[in-house]
Amino acid sequence: MAIRFVDVHKRFGTKEVLAGVTLRIEDGECFFIVGASGVGKSVLIKHLVGLLRPDAGDVFLGDQEVSRLSEDALRPVRKRCAMVFQSSTLFDSMTCAENVALPLRKHRRMAMPDALAEARRRLEAVRMERFADALPAALGDGLRKRVAIARALTLEPEVVLFDEPTTSLDPVSARRTDQLIATLCAQEGVTAVVVSHDLTSIFGIADRVAMLYKGGVRFLGTPEEFRASDDPVVRQFVRGEAEGPMEV
Amino acid sequence: MAEAIPTPGSSAALRWQLRQTVELTARTLEMTFPRQGRSAAARRALATQMHSVGNRSMPFMVVTMAFIGAIISFQTALQSQEILPDLSQVGATFTKLLVRDLAASVGALPLATRVGAGIAAEIGSMVVTEQVDALRMNNADPVETLVVPRFVACVVMGTVVLVIGGFVAFGAGVVVGQLAFGIEARTFASTALLNGGDVALGLAKCATYGGAIALVSSERGLSAFGGSEGVGRATTEAVVGSCFAIIVLNVLLSTAGYFLLPAL
Repeated sequence: MAIRFVDVHKRFGTKEVLAGVTLRIEDGECFFIVGASGVGKSVLIKHLVGLLRPDAGDVFLGDQEVSRLSEDALRPVRKRCAMVFQSSTLFDSMTCAENVALPLRKHRRMAMPDALAEARRRLEAVRMERFADALPAALGDGLRKRVAIARALTLEPEVVLFDEPTTSLDPVSARRTDQLIATLCAQEGVTAVVVSHDLTSIFGIADRVAMLYKGGVRFLGTPEEFRASDDPVVRQFVRGEAEGPMEV
Repeated sequence: MAEAIPTPGSSAALRWQLRQTVELTARTLEMTFPRQGRSAAARRALATQMHSVGNRSMPFMVVTMAFIGAIISFQTALQSQEILPDLSQVGATFTKLLVRDLAASVGALPLATRVGAGIAAEIGSMVVTEQVDALRMNNADPVETLVVPRFVACVVMGTVVLVIGGFVAFGAGVVVGQLAFGIEARTFASTALLNGGDVALGLAKCATYGGAIALVSSERGLSAFGGSEGVGRATTEAVVGSCFAIIVLNVLLSTAGYFLLPAL
C-alpha cells in the first residue's frame, strides 16, 4: 500500500520539527528514513497511524487521508498498519504470549485461549516460543524487541513501521532483524518503513532512503545514490564524520 | 488543520489544558459505566488502583490528619477562649467544621500530593516510553485502560481515606481539646449542630475531590512529553493543578451547599 506525506508540518512548543515534508513510499517497498537524532524521523512515521496529528499538510495511506480521522476511524488503519516502537513497549504485567495476544483480543475480539494459541504460533516465527510464559522484564533488549516484532505482525498488516529496530541489539540479532524485514517485503509484499541510523541495515536491505534534515527531506534515492551523494551533509552522515557542515 | 500544542506556561497553554481536562472528564464519565460490564483484566486493574489509592495512602493520611485535627482543635479553642465565656460549644463546632468541610477539603490536599503525583508520574512515564502509543496501536483506549480505573479508585477509595482521616482528625482534636483546654470529650461527640446535609455535603466533597485529583493528574500525565524532564514537569503540574482544583471546587460546593444543604 502506497504512503504519501504531503507538505507535513509539525511543531512542539517553539520547535518546528517538520517544516513541510513531502514523501511518497511505494507499495511493498523497504523504505528507510534516516537523519540525525531529534530531526523528526519518529515524529514523521507516527503521523501515518494517527499517533500524532500534523499542524498542516496531509498524510495518505493508499487513497485514504488519515491525519484527520477520529480515534474510532483510525482503528481499521491501525489494523492494516502496525508499528514496532523504539523501546519495545511490552506491557510488564503481561507475559510475552499475552502481549502478542493483545492485538488479537482488542482488534479482532478473539477469546483469550484462541488468542494465546495464535500468539504462541507468532512467537515461534521469531524463535521466541520458549519465552511465551516469561514476563518481559526477565528478557534482554534483543529478545524483547523480537517479541515486539511478533506482536506487530500478529494481525498480518500491510504496512509495518519500524522505529530503530536494530538499536541496542547485538550485531547478530540486528542482522536477523534485517532479514526478517527484508523477507516481509520480498515474500509477503509488506510495505516496511524503517527509521534507522544503522548504515549496515540501510545498505543491506533498503530499496530507497530518505534523509531528513532541518525539518525537510535533504536526500531521496537508492542506497547506492545515498552512498555516492556529493551533498556535504549527506556525505558527512554516511561517513560518520564528527566534523562537517551538519548541524545536530 | 490540527491545532498546535501551545508553548508551556502561556495563557493559551492553560486554556488548552483546561479544555483537555474537560474533554477527559466527559470521556472518563462516559466509560466509567460500561454497557457490557468490566472484563477480568479491567477488574484486576481497578483492584490494583484501589489498593494503591486506598491502602497505600492510609499511613501517610492517618498521620497527617492526626496532626491537622490536633492543630484545628488547638487553634479553634485558643481563639474561642479570647471571645467566648466558656468552651462548651467548641467541641460541637469543631466536629461540624470537620464533617462539613475540613476533613474533605484539608485532607484532600495531602491526598493530592501522594496520589496525584503517583498518577501523573506513572502515566507520564508510559507516555514518554511510548507505551500509551502502543496501547492505541493495539486498539486499547488509554482513557478506558489507564484513566477509568484510577478515576473510580480515587472516587471510592479517596472517599474512604478521607472519611477515615476525618475520624482520626476528630480523635486527635478530642485529645488535644481535653488535654490543653479541659474540654470534655462528650461535647465533641455532640450531634446537636450536625444534620444530614452536613454529612451529605462532606461526602460529596470527598468523592468530588477524589475524582478531580484523578482527572487532573491523568490529563497532565497523558500530556507529558520530553523524557524524564517532561515527566517531572507533568508531576509538578499535576500536584499544583489538583490542589487548585480542590480549592476551586470547595468554593463551588460550599456555595451550593450553603443554599441547598444549609447548616443548622
